[in-house]
Formats: sequence, C-alpha cells, structure tokens
Amino acid sequence: MLTLERVTKRFGGLTAVREVSLEVRAGDLLGIIGPNGAGKTTLFNVIAGYYRPEEGRVLFDGRDVTGLPPHAICRQGLTRTFQIVKPFGNLSVLDNVTIGSLTKVTRLRTARVDAERVVETCGLAPYARARARALPIGLRKRLEVARALATRPRLLLLDEVMAGLNPSELAGMVELIRRLHGEGLTLIVIEHIMAAMMRLARRIVVLHHGERIAEGTPAQIASDRRVIDAYLGEEFVLAEA
Amino acid sequence: MRGVLARHWGALVLFGLTALTPLVVKDAFFLDSLVLILIWGALSAAWNLAGGYAGQVSLGHSAFFGIGAYSAALLATRWQQSPWLGMLLGVLVSVAAGAVIGYLSNRLRGPYFALSTIAFSQVLLIVASRWRGFTQGSEGIPVPFRPGFWTLGLGHVAWVYVALGLALVHYGVQVYFERSRVGYQLAGVREDEDAAEALGIASRKLRVFAVTLSAALTSVCGAFWAQYVGFVDPFYVFSVDLSIRFALNTIIGGVGTALGPFLGSILITSLETYLRATFAGVKTGFTGIYLIIYGCVLILVVRFVPEGLAGLAARLRAGVARSRERATDHAHA
Repeated sequence: MLTLERVTKRFGGLTAVREVSLEVRAGDLLGIIGPNGAGKTTLFNVIAGYYRPEEGRVLFDGRDVTGLPPHAICRQGLTRTFQIVKPFGNLSVLDNVTIGSLTKVTRLRTARVDAERVVETCGLAPYARARARALPIGLRKRLEVARALATRPRLLLLDEVMAGLNPSELAGMVELIRRLHGEGLTLIVIEHIMAAMMRLARRIVVLHHGERIAEGTPAQIASDRRVIDAYLGEEFVLAEA
Repeated sequence: MRGVLARHWGALVLFGLTALTPLVVKDAFFLDSLVLILIWGALSAAWNLAGGYAGQVSLGHSAFFGIGAYSAALLATRWQQSPWLGMLLGVLVSVAAGAVIGYLSNRLRGPYFALSTIAFSQVLLIVASRWRGFTQGSEGIPVPFRPGFWTLGLGHVAWVYVALGLALVHYGVQVYFERSRVGYQLAGVREDEDAAEALGIASRKLRVFAVTLSAALTSVCGAFWAQYVGFVDPFYVFSVDLSIRFALNTIIGGVGTALGPFLGSILITSLETYLRATFAGVKTGFTGIYLIIYGCVLILVVRFVPEGLAGLAARLRAGVARSRERATDHAHA
C-alpha cells in the first residue's frame, strides 16, 4: 500500500532521515519507534507531503506521491495526525470532525451525520458541542484521531497520540486503535510508550539518527542488541524479563 | 424553518424594518442616511469575507471599491453605457486584481499582508489621480444623472430598495460562508492551515477564492455608490480611510458574523451623519470631531465587547436564557 524508496531528507547540514525504505501492506499495523530526534516525525512529514525529500520516492498504492501537497495526498486516502495536536480551537468538536468529513462528502448535512457517527466511535459524543480548545489533552488527542478518521483514510498515520495520557485514557486509545485496525484500517503508529507499542504493533521499525536500524516483531525488537543500546536501555530488557 | 428564524432573527428584524421605512418616512435626509448605512454595511460584509471568514485582514479594500466606482463612472461618461455594465466591468477587473492580492496572501501573513494591500490601493490612487487624459486626474469624475433603472437614476425611495437588495445579497453570501462546505473548510484554514491541509483542504486555493469574491463584491458596491453619490473623487475612493472604515464597521459589529458588519455600519454611519450635521454648522473647528468620537467608540468596543455588537447580542440572549433556566430551577425546587 505504502512504499518508501531510500528516502532522504536534509535540513541544511543535518540529515534528518537517511535512505529509509519501508513497505506497508494493506491491513498492517506498523509501529515506528526511536529516540527523540531520530527522524520519526520528519518521516511522517515526508510521507504526508509537508516536506519534499531530497532523494527517494514515496509510493501510495503504486502511485508516486512524492512532492504532492498534503491535501492531495489526503484525498487519495492517506491522512496523518499531529504530535502537537492542532485542533480548530474556536470550533466545536463536531464542527472539527465535520470539516474532516467534508473532504469525502460534499453535502454539509450528510457530512454532519457522518461526523456524529465518528464522534460517537471515538467516544467524544458527550463533548460534541464543546469548543475544541476547552478540551483537556486526552480528549484533544482523541479529537485529532476522530478528525483524521472522518476523512475516511485507507492508511492512517498516528503521531504519538498516546503521549500525555493517563492510564485509563491510554487503555481507551489502545482499544480504539485496535478496533480501527480490526475494521480493516491500515495504520502506522509513532509512539514512545513501549508497553502500548508492544501490545499494539504487528511489526516495528526502529529509527536512530535518521536511519533504520532494525525491523521485526515486537519480541524481536525487544531483544535486538542495537535497539537496546540506542533506545530501550538495559532497564527495559530487565523489566520485560 | 424555525431554525432559520432562530439563526437569522436579527437580520429579519433589521432588513424587514428597512423595507418598511420608506412607506412611512418621506424625509430625504433620513432616507439618504439609510441608503448609506446599507451600502457601507454591504461593503463591510464584503470585507468580512476576506478579513473575517478567511482571516486575511486587508487594509486596501478601497482599491476594489475604487475600481468599481471608476468602471461605472468611466463607462457612463466616456461611452454612455449603463452603470450595470460598468459594474460588470468593475467586477471583472476586481476579480483579476483580487486573485493577485489573494495570491499575495499565500506569501505574506498578518501585518505584511495588510501593508501590501495598502500599497496596492495607493498605487491605484496614483494612477487614477495622474492619468488625466483618461480619468480626469485629481479633478474626479462627475457622474451624470439620467433617470431610469437601467441608468440607475433613481429617487431616494427606489435607492433604499436597491441598497437593500445589495445588502441582502451580501448577507446571503456571508451566510453561505458560514453554512456551506466551503465555509467550514475556510474556517479550518483560518484556525490552523497545516491541520486543514492534513484533512484534504486545498488551503491556498480556498484563500484566493475568498479574497477574490470579497474583491468582486466590494467592486459592485463601488459602482452603485458612484451612481448614488454622483461624483468619483480618486482621493476619496482609493483612500486608506475608506479601507479602514470597512474593517472598523466589521470589527465593531462582530468579525466573522453575518450580521456584524451591518450592526457596525448602523452605529458608525448614523453616528457620523448625526455628528457631522450637528457640529458642522456650529464652528468650522468642530468638523473633525466625529473622528474623535469614532475613535472613542472603537476603544470602548475593543475594551468591553471584543467580539463586537453581534457577540454582545448573543451574550445577552445567553444571559436571558440562563436566568430563565435558573428561574425554572427555583420553581422546581
């Protein structure tokens, strides 16, 4: 479904992403982990059209989408969320999601009905009329997911939607992602919370200094020497054991 | 139907009363003020499309106003054509100019965009005031009064209805910007452009569309205004004062609300008309005093009702609803 071919993104002298190749098939739930500054979000920005890579190509459904503007990529069925959530603060939760729906639905009335359904799915129904900026962070993260879902993506990129959540919110978010995946959605998830990632992802890619250093099942990743050195640390291995 | 009534009750009252006024009031001064209130209101509404709904604050909208006024006046005086055709010409020119300004809005943000719009209007002022052979330069153009609807040579009562029609169209376009797909998407772009792009909205194109439409509607008002007033002075129609007036009416009335520009226009226009009429005769030194009062009103509004008069109305309604709720709660207890 999504193929990255040796993608490189530089900022001046700094290479944020170096020759990263990646293959995501329909139905995958791919996790991307790595220390801060490893290039995870930069990679999302390249995939979703916010940055044009210096080298390499991004193929979505076999079509070259490298360098297309973000809105064009979204319309093809690839939607991303933002690590630092970007709600339309002065609008209600329902209006936020309706704007997402309007990408695939042209009639406002139909879009609103559609948005109500998505709001319900994401557990935001009690807050549908609230202003987005009034929501606490846990709900804002949910709104970020809901709005992206409303665009009816086939591939959804989630950028740290679990960061800053309390344990019960976290469990709810894991549950939601599982359910979406169960309904056939393909996902790529960036996350720092390893416990959640280990339970969620089928396959994990590890980035370090912009390079892909490992790929495998959660179990393989947890015992990979380079990953332990670069990111997980000995404590994690001991805790898991 | 009830939803429509609830949402637009303010407009229904306002425009309804305006439609009835000429049947009761025959005073030419009053009707003249009414026409001006409607035209300034419609202009502010047009400004609101770019400045309010799209979040692109322009301080050079007099450029489009002037283009409309000059198009109608020149076509009428040089080629004896109907001002309606002039209006059409003005719209075409303004669409082209508006698209350029809209494109600029993708490059320049906030104050830089506002400054570039001022520059644009001032360039047009220089062209209009220096190109003597064509525009009669700084002397301006007297627009002949030729009776008839096609030539827009109308009496006060007819003008009230023409201006009312104009106001209604502009109100309608604003409502469309609130309640349509384009409107929702534009709200998204205004709130957060990156997020809007992520949701599949072509933000740049949409912004150019809003600014261009705003320019075209401003130009239509300019053409009507030229016919109504009967004289086009480059230093007035392309002035920064005028641009600021469109913005101020909207800010005082309520940015990004459909009724706001009209409420602002009622307050500012009637205040100005009244003060001018009152103080002009007293002493020549007093002619500028309306500007001082104008400024004070602006300060008061920004300090106490930053969301504008329309927001104040909404706040009062919410307050009434809440106290009613409280009353019923007490009754139940």
